[in-house]
Amino acid sequence: MSQIILSGRGVSKSFRGLKAIQDVDFDIPEGSIFGLIGPNGAGKSTLFNLITGYYPLTAGEIRFKDQDLSPLPTYRRNQAGIARAFQISKPFPALTVRENIRVGAMFGDASRAASEDTVEQALATVGLQDLADRTAEGLTVGALRKLEVARAFATRPTLLLADEPCAGLNPVETREMVECLRKVREHGVTVWLVEHDMKAVTSICDRIIVIDAGKKIAEGSPQEIVADPKVIAAYLGEPLEEAGH
Amino acid sequence: MSSRTTAIAITVLLVLVAALLPLWMGPFFTRVIQLFFFSAALAVAWNILGGFSGYWSFGHAAFIGMGAFSAAHLVAQLGPFGSGPWSMVVPVLAAGLICGVFAAIIAYPILRLRGIYFAIAMLGVSQVVGELVNNVRWFQGGTGVFLQSPVPAGMRPEVFYYYIFGALLLLGFLISVAVRNARFGYALFAIREDEDTAMMLGVATERYKIMAFVLSATLVGMLGAVYGYSVGYLTTYTVFRLDFSLNMIVFCLIGGIGTLYGPIIGTAIMLFITQVLLSRFLDMHLLITGAIVVTIILLMPGGVIGAFNSLRRKSSDQANTTRAEAAR
Repeated sequence: MSQIILSGRGVSKSFRGLKAIQDVDFDIPEGSIFGLIGPNGAGKSTLFNLITGYYPLTAGEIRFKDQDLSPLPTYRRNQAGIARAFQISKPFPALTVRENIRVGAMFGDASRAASEDTVEQALATVGLQDLADRTAEGLTVGALRKLEVARAFATRPTLLLADEPCAGLNPVETREMVECLRKVREHGVTVWLVEHDMKAVTSICDRIIVIDAGKKIAEGSPQEIVADPKVIAAYLGEPLEEAGH
Repeated sequence: MSSRTTAIAITVLLVLVAALLPLWMGPFFTRVIQLFFFSAALAVAWNILGGFSGYWSFGHAAFIGMGAFSAAHLVAQLGPFGSGPWSMVVPVLAAGLICGVFAAIIAYPILRLRGIYFAIAMLGVSQVVGELVNNVRWFQGGTGVFLQSPVPAGMRPEVFYYYIFGALLLLGFLISVAVRNARFGYALFAIREDEDTAMMLGVATERYKIMAFVLSATLVGMLGAVYGYSVGYLTTYTVFRLDFSLNMIVFCLIGGIGTLYGPIIGTAIMLFITQVLLSRFLDMHLLITGAIVVTIILLMPGGVIGAFNSLRRKSSDQANTTRAEAAR
């Protein structure tokens, strides 16, 4: 297997007494599409917030390309190569699609001229060329999600954290988004994906990590994960006779 | 002709017209337009921080006051710096510098506050600075300070300040055009729209916010210093005025906050209404002004520029639909 781009050891986060993330380990190989699943409130977004530096770690360590991330503020982590597409699309509504993406492209290390190429490449990768000059305000949910991915992609990351890019999309849009993420990977970007749509996750991911109540409960290939009794229990609850004990 | 060339052509034309106007304009209108230049320049400077980055300051009058008093004390302690118009250069630049440095220092704690908290913090800063200048004897805010008139012999003061404020408005406008089109401008927009996302896109938000704050404060400080000269005799209440702070915001709101022309158009509209139309209704004019402001904000939440843009968008959408129907 290829090199590990992002690794976590004993990653933990508490909010006062609440242990949101407890002792989670992970190793994300370069060039993979990795999945992160778990029931609502399991701590998936919190884990991403720890990786991007939105929250400081309570304990543990996260290393990106063998560099400890803890001293870096959020924008430095982005410049180091970590991008994030948010769960709730956060476009800049007054700006056009192209301008939105340009913001992503501008603050990397590149010159102004190089950033225009990046903008066009990002537009093409997600297939938003036709909407490039519309303001973000009037876009459909599907287009907004693509914009979110394109804008993150335009920062020229080596790792993209995609937080539920398919949430609220119809089946056609979901398929387009899956394609979109594949294309992102073809450009050499490792993708770590939080997703509820099991069909989307299992069709695209090489490996999946499952967390529940802040703890890692399983890791494996999509086939292993869907057959894992612990995962089934976390999602569907314990079988009735055991719950009676 | 592209919209950019049109904009440049209109700007150049307006500058030329403005340069020639005082030749035949009477003192009253010269003074009204001089006030317009001063107020519009303030609004433009406020807009760099408040409009572009969304950090609304409710206390920018602090920088008018600091600018004016800095210039006055500098001249009193170390001056005079020449005579005639050139005597203004050092004090005005120094006033800008002092305000910029002061902004950079207070930026560290208060620019961490977001939204309304920042607005209130700036209101507090302006009150505190005003009180200090008023009550600490050395500043002489209570008794007042003089600034020697720089108006050249044989020139009417209102004409002199007309040109000075006009030049400062042009300077502020050109700076905000430059900011708008640079990476700096994009950073500020990103911060205004969503600061957390901006950070995630690699924008060093702290640094850009401080830059905008310092730039805005520097411009306002220079304007404050020139205003001090134009008044001649300053007390705390000449310059540390809440209505200065509020006008900057209202003028931007009326014209279109965060746009390039909005602050200037808003100032023009409001001054025309208050100084010209309502000059005969002195007893009623605040009431009517208030009603007008509320009406405009209710009817055009994006200001005049916002209303204009949405009208244009609507008509181009209509044109597109007609074209699409015709194609069908």
